[in-house]
Amino acid sequence: MSEFPISFTLEYPYTRTLGPVIGPFLTALRDGCILGIRCGNRVLCPPIEFDPDTGETLSPDLVEVGPAGSVESWTWIAEPSRKHPFQEPFAFALVKLDGADTAMTHAVKAAGPEAMSTGMRVRAQFREERAGAITDVYFVPEGDARDQSIAPGEGEVEISTHLISLTYNDTLYPHAARYAQGLLDGKFIGQRISGDQVAIPGKGYDALARVMLTEADDVELAPTGTVLSYTVITPVKYRGQKETEPYLSATIILDGAGQSLVQQDIRNIPLDELRVGMRLRAIFKPAAERKVDDVDNDWMYPSIGDVVERWEPTGEPDVPLDGLPESM
Amino acid sequence: MEDIAIVAFAQTPCYRKYDDSEPSMIMGLVNQIVEEVEIDRHQIDFTIAGSCDYLTGRAFAFIANVDGYGAWPPVYESHVEMDGAWALFEAFVRLQMGDIGSALIVSSGKSSPGTPREIFPLQTDPYLGAPLGLDPVSAAGLQARALLDSGKATERDFAEVVSRSRRDGLSNPNAQVGKDVPVEDLLKEPYYASPLRKHDLPPISDGASAVLIARGQRARELCEKPVWIRGIDHRIESHHLGLRDLTDSPSSRIAARSLGLDAGSLDVAELCARYSPEEIVLRQALELGDGTRINPSGGPLCGHPVMASGLTRVVEVARRIRGGEAGRGLGHATSGPALQQNLLCILEGDA
Repeated sequence: MSEFPISFTLEYPYTRTLGPVIGPFLTALRDGCILGIRCGNRVLCPPIEFDPDTGETLSPDLVEVGPAGSVESWTWIAEPSRKHPFQEPFAFALVKLDGADTAMTHAVKAAGPEAMSTGMRVRAQFREERAGAITDVYFVPEGDARDQSIAPGEGEVEISTHLISLTYNDTLYPHAARYAQGLLDGKFIGQRISGDQVAIPGKGYDALARVMLTEADDVELAPTGTVLSYTVITPVKYRGQKETEPYLSATIILDGAGQSLVQQDIRNIPLDELRVGMRLRAIFKPAAERKVDDVDNDWMYPSIGDVVERWEPTGEPDVPLDGLPESM
Repeated sequence: MEDIAIVAFAQTPCYRKYDDSEPSMIMGLVNQIVEEVEIDRHQIDFTIAGSCDYLTGRAFAFIANVDGYGAWPPVYESHVEMDGAWALFEAFVRLQMGDIGSALIVSSGKSSPGTPREIFPLQTDPYLGAPLGLDPVSAAGLQARALLDSGKATERDFAEVVSRSRRDGLSNPNAQVGKDVPVEDLLKEPYYASPLRKHDLPPISDGASAVLIARGQRARELCEKPVWIRGIDHRIESHHLGLRDLTDSPSSRIAARSLGLDAGSLDVAELCARYSPEEIVLRQALELGDGTRINPSGGPLCGHPVMASGLTRVVEVARRIRGGEAGRGLGHATSGPALQQNLLCILEGDA
């Protein structure tokens, strides 16, 4: 059995309103200065909306701090992650800015760990391109700092955007790998579960009986089945849309299966000829053209890959509506 | 407060990569527990799980996991997007209401498909932390340096934690890492997130654990040796590292005080110390002395299935109490960077 590596990138683009404290803080960063907030006799930087001791709302009494300060703790990041502010080794540090009573966690760009020490003086440097984000600034040892002339931006920063983008690498689970190999071989492989049902694709276990399944529970299903439902998709225009003409998308239950294959594209049957109960046969693509790239471990969105050339009518009489097979 | 006990527990080994699904990992544990106590799955009144969809990157992975703990016909269930130790907390509170007698707690995590160092910044402040990619390793490095600077620990202390833990891992069949490495050798290794070396970090693990708890009489019906939960509490600190004293764990101390914890009475403590300095912070904050055996399992440094790692600490203590090795013990769980949130669970056998 060959291994099927899978890889996908999960992305969530977040847009958040910033509120009365973080908004002005990030606006100031864009404009080249750092703000703290008064909290009793203290100045907190980064500023927060609430007194950390009592939870009382703080009035947004913001004061400029820094741009220089002292390192309270640091760690030298020998191998940065893709998400770090620098892709070459740097330090994360707790920096207490002059005029502030609390430290901010941020990056220090220094020549090496020997250039870092607790208590050392650092100074803010602002990036050329600033977006009103915490990454607009970083710190350097005070001796490395250069004077900057920062042109203020326009308007208040009220929104932050943050794209979460994470890549995952896995392999198909053993049962999913056998299912994928089956598709490449032009076969539908399901798994026998409780009640003499066949799940396709299987899950590798029987959720009802709460037992693990093995290769011995695999069942090959015939490539014939019945239409349980369908819809006509009328393409609307959007970025990336490739469809121009209406087409059919059908739910098909294979003979002997307890679970239907959903969203099967039907391109070869006229729109007004597909019927619920119609008998269809899958005609597989030539072996060299079959692909299972989108077969995944996630059974909630099952795919049969790109292996079926077309679903064609078998010519058998339709299954009457009251005789349609049950589907999980 | 009603007496509540752990009546059964189970855990998987810690795997670098478990090749099958998360539900399949859970299913074996639940079956093991149900068989051990000889009851029908549906005689368990409440089920609660702790897991995190971000680990495998699967939206609604926690729903798929329901297959693993067996939910047909439907069961009364809940979920926390936290370590299973917090699911245990919720179940404990739920049982206090008195109308139901038993609860199954399941925790699971598969970190192998993702990159934990890129995922975990997402649990920090979304405006000021996450965009910096501020990851748990870096936060642990800041905590480690603060400890050194305060004089509360030395790099040798970190290495001693690692050396002892990894040696203990050798005798734990569920450990992913076990090694007998002297402190001197560890101190020769290069820094990774200075002053931390790679061995100060936990391995990346897949794994699961589960416990069944029950109220007083029901607990005695279900097993011969109930392990009583004498108290469970959890507290949290600020999400800004700069607002915390990283050399201390006031949240742990407050939880201990609220439980009336007498550290001297503990035979064993399983601490969810993911980075070696965390053990030192916790030992000092909880005032654990020489009479308390720390992390005989090897702890998270020998296997760290995120989301299950904390509940596994409770399981490890329960196992030692049931086995007669300990009379009273502490299970600890933590969440967030540099011990931000801490849960304590005091366990005791019948006298």
